[in-house]
Amino acid sequence: MATPVNPADINPRQVANKSDKKALLDAIRMTLSVQSSAVRRNTQTFNRNRYAATALLPDYNELKDRARQIKENAIANLPELLRQLEASVRANGGHFYLAKTAADADQYIRDVLLRHEAKLVVKGKSITSEEIKLNHALEAAGITVAETDLAEFILQVADEQPSHIIAPALHYSRERITALFKRKFNTDLPLDTGEDLTVFAREKLRQQFIAADAGISGANLIAADSGSLMLVESEGNIRMTMTLPPLHIALAGIEKVVLSRTDFGTFIELLPRSGTGQPLTSYVSILHPPLKAPSFAAPGKATRPREFHLVLIDNGRSRMREDPVLHEALYCIRCSACMNCCANFETVGGHAFGGETYSGGIGGSWEAGTGTLMNARFSELCTGCSRCVTQCPVRIDIPWLNENLRQRMNFEQPETGVKSAFGAMTGSAPEDRAAPLQRQFFANYHVMASGAARFPSLSNAVTGLPFVRGLMENVVGLDRRRKLPAFPRKTWQQLYLDEHANVPARAVKSSPDVLMFADVFTNYGSPERGMAAMRVLREVGINAELSLSLPDGRAAISQGMIATARQQANALAKTLLPYLEKGTVICVLEPSVLAMFRSDYEHLLDATTWEKFERASFLEPLQLVWSIAKDQRLDLSQVFRASKSPHGNRVFYHSHCQQRSCDAAWQTIDILRLCGFDAVTSSVECCGMAGSFGYKREYYELSMAVGEDLFAQVRAAEQDGPRTLLASGTSCHEQLWAGMGRVVMHPVELLVGTLG
Amino acid sequence: MLDFFMQQAMAQSSLVEDFAAAAIQAVATVQVIDRSPVTLRDAILQAVADASRILYAPPQELPASLFSEFAADPRVRANATPDEMVNSAAGVTEAFAAVASTGSVCIDVSFERTGIVSLMAPLQVAVVAVENIVPQPRDLFRADVLDGRGLRRDFVFVTGPSATADMGPLVRGVHGPHKLHIIVLR
Repeated sequence: MATPVNPADINPRQVANKSDKKALLDAIRMTLSVQSSAVRRNTQTFNRNRYAATALLPDYNELKDRARQIKENAIANLPELLRQLEASVRANGGHFYLAKTAADADQYIRDVLLRHEAKLVVKGKSITSEEIKLNHALEAAGITVAETDLAEFILQVADEQPSHIIAPALHYSRERITALFKRKFNTDLPLDTGEDLTVFAREKLRQQFIAADAGISGANLIAADSGSLMLVESEGNIRMTMTLPPLHIALAGIEKVVLSRTDFGTFIELLPRSGTGQPLTSYVSILHPPLKAPSFAAPGKATRPREFHLVLIDNGRSRMREDPVLHEALYCIRCSACMNCCANFETVGGHAFGGETYSGGIGGSWEAGTGTLMNARFSELCTGCSRCVTQCPVRIDIPWLNENLRQRMNFEQPETGVKSAFGAMTGSAPEDRAAPLQRQFFANYHVMASGAARFPSLSNAVTGLPFVRGLMENVVGLDRRRKLPAFPRKTWQQLYLDEHANVPARAVKSSPDVLMFADVFTNYGSPERGMAAMRVLREVGINAELSLSLPDGRAAISQGMIATARQQANALAKTLLPYLEKGTVICVLEPSVLAMFRSDYEHLLDATTWEKFERASFLEPLQLVWSIAKDQRLDLSQVFRASKSPHGNRVFYHSHCQQRSCDAAWQTIDILRLCGFDAVTSSVECCGMAGSFGYKREYYELSMAVGEDLFAQVRAAEQDGPRTLLASGTSCHEQLWAGMGRVVMHPVELLVGTLG
Repeated sequence: MLDFFMQQAMAQSSLVEDFAAAAIQAVATVQVIDRSPVTLRDAILQAVADASRILYAPPQELPASLFSEFAADPRVRANATPDEMVNSAAGVTEAFAAVASTGSVCIDVSFERTGIVSLMAPLQVAVVAVENIVPQPRDLFRADVLDGRGLRRDFVFVTGPSATADMGPLVRGVHGPHKLHIIVLR
């Protein structure tokens, strides 16, 4: 596990390919020690700006629907669109080339440049050119390539791969750029401010622009009907690349093609806002080259006629298009929203959470699609928290893509007798039994938990033994620094039955229209929390029935054990269906399970069953309390009085990532405030625990580093005095406990406390 | 009938206000002036201050006569040499449209030297007619707005000066202009 290499000495290129897991772990150590603070600052700025900028779009959701529709149609009709585009480009007077492979594209571009006797090429930012390693191919042919985007310029000087799709050098702090330039350019210039560095790079590049023989750009979108390109930038280098030299080559993947230039109207509103969070970036160019304006002749040279080549690359994309799951990745417009709202990405960036070219949640599908499956290994860093799903302008279900990649990687693992036996014993579906022991262990947590629950004291004593923790760490990779939830004396169901046994059945005013779902995490881990939720409901007149405790599939799907998840989901659906058919409201305390019922089940159930789930009401308990109070004009401040809380009225509340994605968090905050609590809320995307992720030995440090943002927010909120810590998710409780070292309550427990 | 014109005028005045506010937000400067050769000249010359050479791309849509007073200034170059092109303090062009929600101006980059003049000098001055301000960027992709010019032309939405955050802090003025001044003609 431990490597003697100093993480600071690792060049990102050495760990770009993560098909070997050691590279992934080294990359995490390297980024945590060198890049994390710059990555955090920059991604979190984009993230805040995006929330603000999209909030100003009154029809944000309609635009996202339309964008999705445009992309779905375009990818479905891609062969036809490519034919139409070729005709449009030729009619405009340009050249069109469709490259099957990276090598084809490199060769075509090199040949065009050699035919023009081009010595110097200026380049705008193009991640696609990184995919095909274009610079390398051109330099081998004696052509000088000047990267003119300042971030790409930095990377060219440093010889590193991009760490972010729209800000490729966002892992560099100003201080590190200063040090890099001083070293590489051997200069005594001060270079101590962003302005100094910008002026330095601009002066160098201005000379290149003037002398350049050709310009190579990417394209954000391409319209088949007119051969129009859309290019988004802020520095002006792309405009110069396309405007000054006589020869312009635009390079893009075939997935960038949409039907019509009118479609740009949708994306121009969404793309910059979703990316940097600006209403528009400084320059958005809309062109159908070749331009009619004369090219720029350097002083002393004659003006040459313009020539334009559109080079589209396939390089695996047609195969992605045929893939029942990965085709969704082709809808990506590369805005970076999924990276900037991802807690893991915010902490390590794309040099750890990324491959040779593509990074972040969507990056795994791209590395697998344009390379090989194992290149997508870094997609393990997707915890499935779902924050990106709500932020993607084309509504890509990124966790689902990553869960599928994980499944495919599980299938690649050798089957062993131990894994098969363990899988059979714990209930893994037969096709999932090649998965590593660690995955099968977490996927079937309920089996371990229900077994242990039969002998709670013994189980707690055993799992408390250091050598047992050592064994668990070595066999299933459960980090020994993590506190394990103690198994309670009685499960939620036992407590519920006890309570009902003491009350004559007739005296219980039942509300058959509400079923409380006994998720396995609460049932075996925190039964008193479940009971508190039911008590809160009773206070607003709901006497809910408690369901059986069955696994819901969340744990399995997060391990890429989709067959097992499907098995569990279908068994559970069978027991829930009679309730759904009656119109029963299902209350779900654990937000990750709520998200399963609300969205993930679409992938796991057959269409008719899913339709019933889709129509049903699945609510977080305080979401139900909130709507009952609203419907019945119930004054909650008279029911739960903060002034009577034994825990005081000062609280810090962290809602769960999936709870927010289900739009089920603000109701809790509203209730706390209504009842008189002084509630400060966290603004982090995820606590870093994310279900089983933070329990895994290899990700413990990363998980704690992610948590540090949350812990810092708690400390800031407590500068004027302590607060009671509240969280809605089971794993958030563990993470906050690990970071703050004190008890964390669920909001329902706090509310029950006020009742005396 | 009078009502109709009043409404038109009011809608336009709110578009101008929104446009100016958004452009200022994007760190441009905005000036609304009357439509005459003398006021236009004065406004441009004030904006370029002591620039010793001013690049100028004659307009495609606004009457050239509107720029006649300005073009008569000895510092103005309508046919700059390559050397002058890379060594001038300011560039003045027409913008055929502007966008209220974002404070952007739209510059045709295929019409003669409009694109390059709007790009090379540290100070960019764009002149736009008030009736060509549209509410949102998406309006440039509609056939029924500005006669569908946005669907036919090669152009760039310019929103503020060029900028980068690649060198750490946000820096304004990178490869493109460092400053953007917009003159709206009433």
